[in-house]
Amino acid sequence: MKKIWLALTLVLFIFGCGTQNENLAKGKELIKSDKRRKEERAVREFKLAIQQQIDNAEAHYLLGLYNSQEFYEPNTTDWEEASVTERGKHMFLAYQAEKRKYLERLVFETLRDDDLDIQNAALDALKRVYNQGDRKQLLNQLQKAIKSSDNRDRHNAHWVLGHLGQDDPNTIVPLLVKLLEHGRTETRLNVVKALGETGSEEAIPALAALIESGAARSERDREEPEVRQLAVEALGKIGGTAVPELVKIVENKGSSLRVDAIRTLAVLGDAKVVEPLLDALKEQSNRDVVVPLN
Amino acid sequence: MSREAYAYFSPHLAIGNPKDYINLKGTSMIQKIKRFDKRQCLVSILPILGLPILGLIIVASGCDNQHYDERLQMRVQKLDSDLMNRWSTSGVVVTEVTPNGPADRAQLESGELISYVIAEYPIKTVSDFNDAMKNGLEEDNNFVLYLKDKLPLRVALRRRGDNVGLSVEGSGTVRVKEVQPGTPAANSDIQVGDIVEKIVDERKIYSLDDYKKVLAKLSKQQVTFRTTELIGVKIAAVSALGNLGDVRAIEPLIDIFKNSTELSLRKASISSLQRLVELSVLNDLFQQFQRANVNQLPADSIEPQHLEAAAILELLTVDRTENTATLEAPFGTQFRHRSEALYEKINEGQLAELVQAYIQITVEPEQEIRRACLAILGILKPVSAIDALVTVLDNSAEIPGIRFQAGLTLSQIGEPAVDALIAAFENGDTSTKDIAASALGGIGGTKARDRLIQALENTSEPAIQLTLVDAIAKIGDAPSLQALERQRAQYQADEDSGIRIFLDEVFKNLEQKSM
Repeated sequence: MKKIWLALTLVLFIFGCGTQNENLAKGKELIKSDKRRKEERAVREFKLAIQQQIDNAEAHYLLGLYNSQEFYEPNTTDWEEASVTERGKHMFLAYQAEKRKYLERLVFETLRDDDLDIQNAALDALKRVYNQGDRKQLLNQLQKAIKSSDNRDRHNAHWVLGHLGQDDPNTIVPLLVKLLEHGRTETRLNVVKALGETGSEEAIPALAALIESGAARSERDREEPEVRQLAVEALGKIGGTAVPELVKIVENKGSSLRVDAIRTLAVLGDAKVVEPLLDALKEQSNRDVVVPLN
Repeated sequence: MSREAYAYFSPHLAIGNPKDYINLKGTSMIQKIKRFDKRQCLVSILPILGLPILGLIIVASGCDNQHYDERLQMRVQKLDSDLMNRWSTSGVVVTEVTPNGPADRAQLESGELISYVIAEYPIKTVSDFNDAMKNGLEEDNNFVLYLKDKLPLRVALRRRGDNVGLSVEGSGTVRVKEVQPGTPAANSDIQVGDIVEKIVDERKIYSLDDYKKVLAKLSKQQVTFRTTELIGVKIAAVSALGNLGDVRAIEPLIDIFKNSTELSLRKASISSLQRLVELSVLNDLFQQFQRANVNQLPADSIEPQHLEAAAILELLTVDRTENTATLEAPFGTQFRHRSEALYEKINEGQLAELVQAYIQITVEPEQEIRRACLAILGILKPVSAIDALVTVLDNSAEIPGIRFQAGLTLSQIGEPAVDALIAAFENGDTSTKDIAASALGGIGGTKARDRLIQALENTSEPAIQLTLVDAIAKIGDAPSLQALERQRAQYQADEDSGIRIFLDEVFKNLEQKSM
């Protein structure tokens, strides 16, 4: 009797798996083919696959990846379900079913896609991971990516960290500040950009220190000029609260970043800037000054 | 290799003129080569002298990035390391001047960037000459020789110890005794008997250490600094002030425009002024937001041309479906608080008066500036500028594009300019007639129209006819069209007549428009 039950369960299981896999496999086959509207048809299969097996990681991921509002009439249920947020949700569900695999995939693969919607869906999924999933693991992967030798990974990681920092600067900004010590210049460039994108005033002191390092006594303590230039831009992105720091650069006559700071301030439109700029115009120069010594 | 390869003399004009720095280009290369040599030398000595010296060097180079000069009583600071690479600027910057100290008394100011230290050696004896030459050539192989009644000569040697080829004699008045054949001196404009007045040594400062070293050597009665302008900073500041839309910027910008000797700075300041004038025109719009104290209003509550102008300047976004006009943050939302003051200042009349002086080619040789001034007048529309504008329009020495722009500006002024334009049309050459007619067509109105029609009926000059037809078509009211019909009837028979073809074209366009 026991054996019969076992056999029956096994048959049912195989049968069940078979139908789920069938839709998934069909969808995957379609994607690989050169059939007309293959993605639209594949998406239908992925949806069916999920109906069969609610926690099928791959089906969720592929649905998030390939679904698109272009397939549907606007304002229909299907159309709404193809929004970036919904696609991000599916990618997150894939992560929930298979954490390690899909976290890595999202960070190092999905974000690289040329399609802006896919990038945004991945961002949405990663935000969900940050809030509902294994935050520590996510931050480890993002740090790995921003330290990577591949420019795309660094860029994508900075983008995600910048966004995460907008919502949770208290965690992200200190993490980024620590990364400013990393040996790779390109990593520091991306870290600086991310700090700007957090828009958080918590980032100001670190950026200011970096900018001021240009006149450090030993070369070792001086940050690269390009990183320092980006730090000025980052202050501009932070905006209002960074204005005093930008003004300080304008007032430092020995700084190589005065022009950058002025250009940044011009866009911010703050009236506090007018006086320092007028002072800069009054600076004496291009003349011979004779100083008698007695 | 002959000596010319190692040394050269070149005319050195107008010392103290910023443009003069170009002359220094040739020598900076030599300096770089020499600096490189020095370092190499250091590297080779190091292993021999060992660690004690290394320790000393670290202590010496590890000095602060600031230095207080006790003798001059001022503080100088090292420049950012990348300033040299990015802006080709070297030197030290004065950060603090102690009140009533020597630097302060000489009116050296905080913020000045010292790029050269200049030592001047008056030549009264032969040894004055020899010492000065030795000093001048010792460090950077480069000095300027002043001969009486001649242009200053820059002397530069490629290698230390090379012969300049000059010897002098005399006391009180020192004259050239001999010019050795085959030396650079022989190839320059130096004659035996020339009076040597002085030798000026201009030393470029690269670092704080350079500064200290040069200053320590000069135990003279005085020291002369040449300060450099980071023109990029001022240009950026001027442009930023144009974007900020603050009334406090107007006077300083006018001052730079009128008095600066830097063309790039003048160009930047007039274009900033133009931007401020463009912003001020939108005062009504911004006051609408300001009165309601909001950053968003229904789009249909704002005059369409205001909406368009502000959208072009990227100051607000219009959403037709939502019927909203929203000021762009951060600038738009802040500017509404400042627009009134700016508007009042610009319309005081001072600016209009200033720019009309600069539209004449005889006053302002730079066409970009003349164009900007015309654009400003086109916005401010001062009646007082009409005569000056007609002069530009009628000036055959002016670029055609600018003459046309003057005509356009007059048509922007409108009705008050009609009489002056009619007069210009009657008395001017073909180009003047062309521009004036076109401007009159742009203004329209009975008076302009009747005069244009009358002119068309009385002229047989084909070029003028075409202009007049075009201008009258632009007015396009019933009497204008009747006049054009009459012309067409007159030339109906003439198949090849340019004016007939043109009239056909005009009517075709008019029909299309009315469809």
